[in-house]
Amino acid sequence: MVHSELSRRGFLAGLGGLGAATILGGCATGSSSDSGSSSNSTTLTLQSSLSDADPKAALTKVVGDYTKTKVTLNTIAIETFRAQLPTYLNSGNPPDVLTWYAGSVARDYASKGFLLDVSDLWTGNGACAGFSPALKELSTGADGKQIFVPTNYYWWGLFYRKSAFQQWGVQPPTTWDQFIALCKTIKSKGVAPLTMGTGSTPWVASGWFDYLDLRINGAEFHRDLLAGKHSFDGPEVKNVMEHYKQLLEFFDPKGRSYSWQDAVTPLASKKAGMYLIGAFITTAVPSNVVDDLDFFRVPIIDPNIPVAEEAPTDGYFASAKSHNTQGAKDLLSYLASPDAQQEFIKLSKSSNLPTSQKVDTSAFPPLVQKGIKHLNETKAITQFFNRDSSDELQTTADTALTKFLDKPGDVNSILSAWQASAKKVIAS
Amino acid sequence: MTTTTLEAPVAAPAGRRAGGARRVPKVVWLFLLVPALVEIGMVFWPALNSFYISLTKWNGLGVAQPVGLDNFRALFSDEVFRGALKNNVIWAIGFGGLSVLGGLALAVALNRPRRGVGLYRSAIYLPMVFSLAVTGLFWRVQYQPDGTINTLLGAVGLESLERQWLADPTTALYAVLVAAVWRQVGYVMVLYLAGLKGTDPTLDDAAAVDGAGAWQRFRFVTWPQLRGVNTVVFAVTVIDSLRTFDIVWAMTQGGPYHSSELLSTYMFQQGFTFLNLGYASSIAVVIFALALVFIITYLVRATKEGADT
Repeated sequence: MVHSELSRRGFLAGLGGLGAATILGGCATGSSSDSGSSSNSTTLTLQSSLSDADPKAALTKVVGDYTKTKVTLNTIAIETFRAQLPTYLNSGNPPDVLTWYAGSVARDYASKGFLLDVSDLWTGNGACAGFSPALKELSTGADGKQIFVPTNYYWWGLFYRKSAFQQWGVQPPTTWDQFIALCKTIKSKGVAPLTMGTGSTPWVASGWFDYLDLRINGAEFHRDLLAGKHSFDGPEVKNVMEHYKQLLEFFDPKGRSYSWQDAVTPLASKKAGMYLIGAFITTAVPSNVVDDLDFFRVPIIDPNIPVAEEAPTDGYFASAKSHNTQGAKDLLSYLASPDAQQEFIKLSKSSNLPTSQKVDTSAFPPLVQKGIKHLNETKAITQFFNRDSSDELQTTADTALTKFLDKPGDVNSILSAWQASAKKVIAS
Repeated sequence: MTTTTLEAPVAAPAGRRAGGARRVPKVVWLFLLVPALVEIGMVFWPALNSFYISLTKWNGLGVAQPVGLDNFRALFSDEVFRGALKNNVIWAIGFGGLSVLGGLALAVALNRPRRGVGLYRSAIYLPMVFSLAVTGLFWRVQYQPDGTINTLLGAVGLESLERQWLADPTTALYAVLVAAVWRQVGYVMVLYLAGLKGTDPTLDDAAAVDGAGAWQRFRFVTWPQLRGVNTVVFAVTVIDSLRTFDIVWAMTQGGPYHSSELLSTYMFQQGFTFLNLGYASSIAVVIFALALVFIITYLVRATKEGADT
């Protein structure tokens, strides 16, 4: 009884308040909120999304070695960081420097005027002046100014265990037909040729989509498709799905319950043959398997299409509203310097590659050396589905592709539903 | 409409409350004022703002653009939203029904003191001490393709029933539901055990002497005495089923392809992954309205029944 009385009273108070809220409601959205990070001209704030233990420790060490200005490092769990990023940038007193991704996602923030123009770092003696033209293009906003400082990147490929391939007596393929034949051979040995964890990480299914589109329609078409200039239910994408369909019988069916990390286990225990994934796979395999791991390029389908690869690039940008722009640029220059890059990569235990050509890579493991060569022999570079578009468009791909994996026969209706939801995302 | 039905019952005790106010020392009001302000500032004010935000298009940047009822119109043509609404209905019925029936049955079974009954009660209540996220992770392991459930099915020769519970759109929602009920049932049991302790055992004895069977004694003697507990259980269950979020998020994140999406998970995704704060707020308003409709209808009915007797 007490319970019911309280509810009624609370409800009436709520109704009264509702009237007030509609009058005053503008306050909630009108003014910019304070993100909680404070900085003045003497202290710089670096907001980091690197919340995994090794990368976090690595960045802490690298920032600790910077002595010019006092730097406060705020590390935030990545999903929170992603959600709060617009708020950080829009606040009255934003963090000076932030970790994030190159490509269309950075360009999007730049077009809203949130990012500091760092063009002078890319010219003359600037810290990024020696970086490759491809990286420069990736770090350039729509207005032609550079707004991003890339510090490391990684590659994607079809990873496999050398000893397993030896055991099965097979070789890495270079053409599509060879690849299909290889899958058939591995399957005949009672092993799932391909593993892919699309359960809690459905975005992994976009890896194959991206690559098939790059191999069949090329990088330019792929970028335009993700920018909304082509349709997901057009003949080009249908052709991509035709090729994807050929692969379906070769996937480990349990993969749809797995995360990308879980799906590494069958590969490591030789119950699966190959895995199309990023170089970060080395952090997920047991240490005694790392040296047995190798990769090859996703096979060529149309030899007339310039070879394209995914090489997601990470780095930093600075807030346009920073109170100490000179200090922020100086910190960015330090983070982009060969020594800082090398130290970060070493301490974070990843297989990431440095963006600076001055970093001595001779001490890097052979797999990483091969990764560097792999990308150097590539004509066009893309990032990944979400980085080339947006996280919201990624979820439309997740829905469409996981549904396709379950019901390949419904491909036409799946693609038209994908196009409809993609159109909504791109228009918003 | 809702205000008129509610003003009448509140009007009567209002006089009594005003009289009581004079006897309360001023300093107590001061102490009450502080938590009240915190509550208003931190809970009611943001909650009310979501009503305003639901009428705008806002991505957290700059100024929100008022769009009238566009968000609500878009909602009802949004297939994912309609799917989530349907799933919420299934969830409310399944989660509410199973946990109330299960909890009540267990409470009645474990009400009488017997040897080892405390052990059973503790064991059934135990899942409640885990957070929902932990419950979700635990069940996710059971539901894995090579997990306990499939292994057990295989061991008793039911291989044909083995499936990828969380990856199959036809079973994902129900698989999560089982996990949620597994946890909730202990809670409802404890509520009903407390209610059964409050019933008068002499009435039960008298009915037994008069020749009433076990079912008749429960239905006509015990059940009417549980009305107070029923109100609490109903409110708790409806609110819990509408705010269910963590366990679904931990187990499926609404997937595969939105087949286990609930209003709360869809709201979270729209609000905090896509930053469509206006659209997400309009989903929040729908959830609020649903909770309110259920609870008001029930409370109005409960008060009426109370007045009749």
